[in-house]
Amino acid sequence: MNWLLDLMLVLLLAMPLLSGVVLVLLPDLTKSMVRVFSLLATLATFVLSLIGACFFDWSNPAALSFVKSVEWVGAFGLQFGFGVNAISMWLVLLTTFLMPLVVLGSFSAIQDRVKEFFLWLLILESAMLGVFVATDIVFFHICFEFTLIPLYFLIGIYGSAQRLKAARVFFLYTFTGSMLTFSGLLYVAWRCDWVFSIATLYELAPQRLSEIEQAWVMGAMLAGFAVKVPLFPLHTWLPLAHTEAPTAGSVILAGVLLKLGTYALLQLAIPIAPIAADQFAPIIGLLAVVGILYAALICWVQKDIKKLIAYSSVSHLGFCVLGMFAFNAEGMAGSVMYMINHGLSTGALFLCVGMIYERFHTRQMSQMQGLAQIMPVWSFFMVFFCLASVGLPGLNGFVGEFLTLLGAFRAKYVLGPPYAVMAGFGLIFAAIYILFMVGKVVFGPLKVPRVENGHCLSCDLNLREIVTLTPLAAGCLWLGLQPSFILDTLTEPLEKIVEHLPQRTAVAHYTVDYPRIEVRMHMPMAQATKHAGL
Amino acid sequence: MHIELAKWIPWIPAGAAVLCGLCAMKRQLRMASALICILAICATFGITVLISGSFSPNGNDPVKPRTVEVFDWISIWGQQVFSSRISAESYANENPGSKMIARDGTDGEKEFVVRKPIFVADFSYLLDSLTIVMLYVVTGVGALVAIYAAGYMAGDRGYARFFSAVCLFIFSMTTLVMADNLLLLFLGWEGVGLCSYLLIGYYYDKPTAVAAAKKAFVVNRIGDLGFLIGIFTAYIRYDTVVIHEMISTVSATMQNGATDWKDHLIPFMLMLGAFGKSAQLPLYVWLPDAMEGPTPVSALIHAATMVTAGVYLIVRLLPLFEISPYALPTVAVVGAVTALFAATIALCQYDIKRIYAYSTISQLGYMFLGVGFLSTAGGIFHLFTHAFFKALLFLTAGSVMHALAGQLDLRKMSGLRKKLPVTCWLMFAGCLALAGFPFTAGFFSKDMILAATFEKGINEQLILPNVMGVIGLLTALLTAFYAFRLWFRIFTGPEKYEMGAEHHGAEPDHGVRTSSSVQVEHVHDAHEVSWLMNAPLLVLACGALTAGFLGHEWIERMVVASTAEPARPPMMDEGVQLHGLMMVVSGVISVVGVMAAAYFHWLNRDATERFADRFVATVRVLTNKYYVDELYDAMIVRPLRVVGGIFYQVDRLVIDSLVMALGFLPRALGLAIQPSQRGALQGYGIGMAIGLVSIVVLVLMAIASGHNS
Repeated sequence: MNWLLDLMLVLLLAMPLLSGVVLVLLPDLTKSMVRVFSLLATLATFVLSLIGACFFDWSNPAALSFVKSVEWVGAFGLQFGFGVNAISMWLVLLTTFLMPLVVLGSFSAIQDRVKEFFLWLLILESAMLGVFVATDIVFFHICFEFTLIPLYFLIGIYGSAQRLKAARVFFLYTFTGSMLTFSGLLYVAWRCDWVFSIATLYELAPQRLSEIEQAWVMGAMLAGFAVKVPLFPLHTWLPLAHTEAPTAGSVILAGVLLKLGTYALLQLAIPIAPIAADQFAPIIGLLAVVGILYAALICWVQKDIKKLIAYSSVSHLGFCVLGMFAFNAEGMAGSVMYMINHGLSTGALFLCVGMIYERFHTRQMSQMQGLAQIMPVWSFFMVFFCLASVGLPGLNGFVGEFLTLLGAFRAKYVLGPPYAVMAGFGLIFAAIYILFMVGKVVFGPLKVPRVENGHCLSCDLNLREIVTLTPLAAGCLWLGLQPSFILDTLTEPLEKIVEHLPQRTAVAHYTVDYPRIEVRMHMPMAQATKHAGL
Repeated sequence: MHIELAKWIPWIPAGAAVLCGLCAMKRQLRMASALICILAICATFGITVLISGSFSPNGNDPVKPRTVEVFDWISIWGQQVFSSRISAESYANENPGSKMIARDGTDGEKEFVVRKPIFVADFSYLLDSLTIVMLYVVTGVGALVAIYAAGYMAGDRGYARFFSAVCLFIFSMTTLVMADNLLLLFLGWEGVGLCSYLLIGYYYDKPTAVAAAKKAFVVNRIGDLGFLIGIFTAYIRYDTVVIHEMISTVSATMQNGATDWKDHLIPFMLMLGAFGKSAQLPLYVWLPDAMEGPTPVSALIHAATMVTAGVYLIVRLLPLFEISPYALPTVAVVGAVTALFAATIALCQYDIKRIYAYSTISQLGYMFLGVGFLSTAGGIFHLFTHAFFKALLFLTAGSVMHALAGQLDLRKMSGLRKKLPVTCWLMFAGCLALAGFPFTAGFFSKDMILAATFEKGINEQLILPNVMGVIGLLTALLTAFYAFRLWFRIFTGPEKYEMGAEHHGAEPDHGVRTSSSVQVEHVHDAHEVSWLMNAPLLVLACGALTAGFLGHEWIERMVVASTAEPARPPMMDEGVQLHGLMMVVSGVISVVGVMAAAYFHWLNRDATERFADRFVATVRVLTNKYYVDELYDAMIVRPLRVVGGIFYQVDRLVIDSLVMALGFLPRALGLAIQPSQRGALQGYGIGMAIGLVSIVVLVLMAIASGHNS
């Protein structure tokens, strides 16, 4: 058993990749065999991650578990460092949980070049897991970049009409940003005597980098990470990519890939450049709020369901970033919850829309109406996930939304009540656009587009599709009622992240003594008052 | 002794909701869902009865509120790490609620972590006498309405779906009234909103129903945002969202008088939530439209229980409102103005259910008026009696609809007392209570509110309460008039009626009913409803007539025993006592109102026409509900949508221009290197013109896209 724990993360990363290799090597597989094989491979990865979760040291969630390093270029001190803390563990679980469902959901949607499709999915899974388990910046960055390639092909080959344009925009946009990020990360490593280990950089970087340097490094990292999140105004690649991608691509994009951005902001940008994070927070918070409202209003005028959900992601991720830059326990824990919750509910919404697209070959809201009459089961799931997405208490979305807003509201110097109140209007707009969509598609008098093969006029979900959606629905309900299961493990790792923030408010929020001590250190008085004024 | 049972009150209906949902899948099981729902609600009612004994105040003993914990929900913990067990333990002992765990530290040494909650909101229930009163209303009326609905909804396609949503509603509503912290209360609050959404849109193939459901949810969300901000502010002010902890902090603050801006912000934000849910100005617009839902839903959710949640919220958190000198008077003014405003609209409507909807808004206004002038007992008492008579009125309206195949237009029915004798007199009882006719339930509760208002005005020599009291009296007159206008129109005069378009209770593929046209004719003639449906109505009618003098002492004792007792009660002992006088005045007013209605709508209907002709403009404004819907649409909805359209076009252009830029980057670079030949001024002019044109085009595109969908 020990060898398993020792190699846990390496295996986790290798599992999808090796399955992919096996998939390529095995000749003469029928389409359905390929599908079942990929399903089994992703399920095995999920089981492995569950075993990992069982052996994870939950009593000490801030410490890295399953630490392992594999020598790479010894001369430069480069190595593949593996390790997870509680935050990474949850995101690993989210990824491995979503993958089998994505595979299951693409069983019938993908009919051509099946093997290649699932191969790309498996490679993508490895790359995404790599981002979450990496403990040194080069390995991290390689995985972060590498996710682009499988997705580029998934969108470019299997997408809908404008897929090539979407793939190109997606690639260039995110790649350009990442190049800047990489230069920033290298600069940090250089200033710290070529240290690549993230844990060491947490200690070294804040000391070595001056305020100005931190600002530049932060800017460089934001260039890549904020594109990925995506933060307004760098979001424009997302609606296109989401809309044109095949269902599986959209689910992974919304479910995991956007979280790479927020995860990197949280685990890399903030602790490495803490002073800059503190200084940038009001601006980033403002962009987040603008993004929330701007994207929400755009959602309202969409005609394509998928595009609507894509824009809603922009709006939702705004909450995630807003909570993160509140730098207090509520906001940051809410932000991590938001990552997980958004992955479940928006991923599920994309699956639901994909199921509609498979049946009617259109996603235009004007083409269909009142589907509740012929597809009651689908309608149930659709309404359920919409409610989770709009933040109904009792379902998962609410927990993150509430905590991020509470955090932003409570943050004294960085953000504050105006941010939370403005973002709060996003909740109203969310209700408007989601119910607008539900009212158009699910309810109302029946209207079904003319389908050429005509075989799916009265087709509700089949068993496979129900099996795909049920775990997601169960997850939404469970996390809505029992979020403390995750929340309890988050405060300690988050405390580590804000440890070096100049602004002691952040840390003071964590100390258990009342009344809270809110002392501002390292910051000139003028800046402090300026922030308070914002 | 039975108090632990209380934790099942919300969860029995929750389980029933799931069961009913499962029943929806099998056609044969659909009928079972009604039974499941009724049994579940009756069970919660039974538990309420069982536990209520422990909370009834006996003599002067104060009744202690009890907290029942179910499970942890949202909590954020902060921690402190210690290297020695002793210091950790002493720290843990100093901080109640903290937990200590031992673990291996990074350096191999044992370390001790003490976790202390920063933010806690659990599923735990607060039980006190106020909660018990609310539970009686919710589960009692809920059970009666469910029994009625079992008959009313019979044969409907979504039978199981309906009962599933009703059970879910009871879950949410009981959670709301039992919540021990604001966040759980908010869960119930949003939960009832969801059920309201699902049930208003129950006939989901009707576009108007879908639109109404959406409107209800969105308008409520506006109030909910206020509620949320209230919770945030309360949390930064009191460091907790647990209700009784906040209230004890407030009491301390009130004594030492150290208030700050947050103390004023909290009640106003919570108020916004209350006004949204309880349909007060300016957020009342959703309630009349909510009548698109099935009538039992209107009775249960949109009259008796959910819409009173706002009143409950303020009463529950009364100390938080009292601390700000402006909060409660604002509540009272909004309540009184809404009461009058809605009553005037009700005068000129023709749709029975909409009249009752405006009446509900108006009566809720009364409750707020009472609570606002610190007559919490009056407010809750009116909530209690209103639950009886308004549920009765809606359900009898449902019986009329049932008889006339969905007909709701007052102009298309007349003289139905022979056809619907039972309904006629049941509705009569409800109308009496609504009109505040002497010795009915509404009479006592309305009197309690108005008397308290005038007492406050006279004893404290304030003008505001007196003005509001006069508005209340005027509203009472209008109420009596419109209540009986409706009753006389339906049941007196020559018998004539037109059938409506809906086929209630007739499933299209139901063999028996469509087998011959004769039977169809028979089924669709006006007919009295079955006794299954009338039995609960009888109970409600008894309540509407007698709950007043039977209940008012009980309610007063119950409310006084809870935290809703005003810290500064209106001077009860010294100063004038107006209850006796007020009874006479409001009794006379009510009789006058009824007589006026009798004259205009029974004895001399022609006079009404002449009267209406003389005030054409007024009538038109009232019939169109002061054009508030149109105003909101033009001021808020449309502009927002246009803005959304503009944003979208901007967004699209950015993508497209980005793609173009990527393609033309090399050429653009080449052009940039060449020196420009144009004059600088000219360039600016062209740039400005292009900018202007593009803005105009954007706006046009946005408007066009707004219109298309």
